[in-house]
Amino acid sequence: MAVLDARDIVKDFGGMLALDKVTLSVNKGDFFGFFGPNGAGKTTLIRILTGQLAPTTGSVNVLGVDVVKEPLKVKELIGIVPEVESPPTYLTAYEYLYFVGKVRNLDRLEDRIEQWLTFFDLEEKKGTICKDMSKGMRQKLMLASAFIHEPSLLFLDEPFINLDPIYQRTLREYLEQYISKGGTVFMASHILEIAERLCNRLAIVNLGKVVAQGSMEELLRGGDSLERLFLRSVGIDTRGE
Amino acid sequence: MLKEEFRTHSSYSGRGRFLSFPAFVFILAMMSGLTLDKMTDAVPLSQLGTFAHLSSFLYGLSVGAFGLMGREYLERRYGRSNYIVAMPYLLPISFRTTFLGIYLRDAIFYVLLMLLPATLGLIAAAPFVGFSLVSIGLLFASVLMAFMFGLSLSFLASVVYIRNVMAFFALTTVLAILFVGQGAFGFPRLDVLIPSLGFQMNVRPFGDDPTTALLHAGAACALAVVFAVASYFLVEVRISISSQSYPETLPTYHSRMTWLSGLTRTLVAKEFVDLRRSGIIAKMFFSFVLPLLFLSFTVWFVNYGLAIPVGFNAVFYAAMVGFVAVLMYNWLNNIDLAEYYSLLPVTVPQLIKVRMLVFLLLTSGVSAFFVVAIALVNGETNLLWLALVVMFVTSVYIVTMTAYLTGLKTNSFLFDTSVLARFSVMSFLPDVCLTILSFSLLANWVVALIGIAIVLGVLSVTTLVLYRGIPTKWGSASF
Repeated sequence: MAVLDARDIVKDFGGMLALDKVTLSVNKGDFFGFFGPNGAGKTTLIRILTGQLAPTTGSVNVLGVDVVKEPLKVKELIGIVPEVESPPTYLTAYEYLYFVGKVRNLDRLEDRIEQWLTFFDLEEKKGTICKDMSKGMRQKLMLASAFIHEPSLLFLDEPFINLDPIYQRTLREYLEQYISKGGTVFMASHILEIAERLCNRLAIVNLGKVVAQGSMEELLRGGDSLERLFLRSVGIDTRGE
Repeated sequence: MLKEEFRTHSSYSGRGRFLSFPAFVFILAMMSGLTLDKMTDAVPLSQLGTFAHLSSFLYGLSVGAFGLMGREYLERRYGRSNYIVAMPYLLPISFRTTFLGIYLRDAIFYVLLMLLPATLGLIAAAPFVGFSLVSIGLLFASVLMAFMFGLSLSFLASVVYIRNVMAFFALTTVLAILFVGQGAFGFPRLDVLIPSLGFQMNVRPFGDDPTTALLHAGAACALAVVFAVASYFLVEVRISISSQSYPETLPTYHSRMTWLSGLTRTLVAKEFVDLRRSGIIAKMFFSFVLPLLFLSFTVWFVNYGLAIPVGFNAVFYAAMVGFVAVLMYNWLNNIDLAEYYSLLPVTVPQLIKVRMLVFLLLTSGVSAFFVVAIALVNGETNLLWLALVVMFVTSVYIVTMTAYLTGLKTNSFLFDTSVLARFSVMSFLPDVCLTILSFSLLANWVVALIGIAIVLGVLSVTTLVLYRGIPTKWGSASF
């Protein structure tokens, strides 16, 4: 069952074509990897799929909701971790999670906040305002704020960035568990080693177009690595390697 | 840095629209030049010159006030942009050098944006009305000195504020006493407070005393340089990363706001936490009270300096207070980034409406205090009820109109000429109507009262229409 269905997405930024007729679908339970070189259109597509940006043309359906028509409803259902960690400057870690919980009208809010502060080891720093946090702490906070309402679909744009190896592993394990419980993940990442371990389906985008799409099994048939597939898909000759 | 400033402004309204702003200033100045004969029938040329001069000084002061935001620029990434001001942390360049760059950037950019096009507008009008090009050149030199004086003073105040808040308040108190003294007692003289005015009044077409003019010009330039150099050496070179732990204020505020509900309650509580922790409330108060003090001075100047017998009263004041308060809405939009809102089920119109509410909560008390004080001082308690109604209606109207036209990016959209033109017309027309009607209260109070009621009625209906239009206009906008 498709939980995400995007058809012929075009995004034109005043003459600069960022996405050119992108079509893809993600099924329930998928760990979907979305890869591409810098500037390929990954973040733009994630912003469109999550209702943060309207496409020039095309349709997007997420969890049965038309994203273009009802972006607010989609944001109620999903969790988003953006490419750049940017929590509110003057709120503490505790307060930001409290804020997100109140905006989302969550029950058992105290419990949820404690759970995620503990999970990301932010307990001791829960009184620090975001302005004074390290990048890694801010990234953990953004992850916690995306997970706190237990969404069934997560959009993660470079979720492992700024995390130390310990928390890269913790996060990887959490996401594997999340998938095993029926969740779905749509993830853009440049860390191909982790992605290769986690993803079951993927798409590669280059210059705004999807150049490869399918299951990891199909695309890596013949013992190819994700890195070689990626390089080949974006036009880099790997025959000599 | 100049390119960065230009791109920042033009990224909001588009390159063409932003570039049309100086064209707008040029046309306005040319029209003023062409109709100067008519204007001088009502107000002497020397007084118009003084007003132009004071405006330029205030312009410099307000441009420099952006420096108050300087530390915030350094401490956070501004949206998706990194500014060159952050370069000392990445490149072998000192923070003082960058600070000097910001000063020069602001001086050049804002002179090119306003003062130069205005001067060119007067030059364009010169052949038709017989202005001397030398006089226009001297006028430009004097307003440029006034601008630089204001800019340097503002930069110095910003640097002092960042180093020591008490010293900042001491500095602004001294300045306020000097200006209030000038407004109330004519001491110290205005050309002593702003020396470039002395230059202007001693050269053609206002006077012809080159020695006195040069002395004033020397003093004006020296003060601007001294303030700028002092700012350069006093500027704080370290970033303030604090390890302070804060109490859980948001839940406390949220639980106290029982008179609000749902999303509005959460967002308003968060805005108040921001206001408290950012320390911006002092800056907001300063930028609100300073124009009100200037307004008091202007009114005094019109009544006593120019000896124009206008019926200044509490109702006029109330209307002005309502219009001045809009500066506070702009501040609310500059406290923090709003990008993270795009990850949550919150829309731009919802946040706009919350900020309008916060604006009213912040300003209503201060504005009412000001109006009540003026009514008491003037012995016009009989007009107080009307003054308060005028203040409230104009405040709500002006913030709704500003929010409708500029959304969450007030600073940037007001540099878009089409937005600025609409903003000017929509604030100027009711302002003029209320001013004239308030002046008529003593002469014919029945007619004036009916007129004021009609204006307030129109403003209320317009407010409602604009308020309802906010979701349509800003519904698909990004944070």
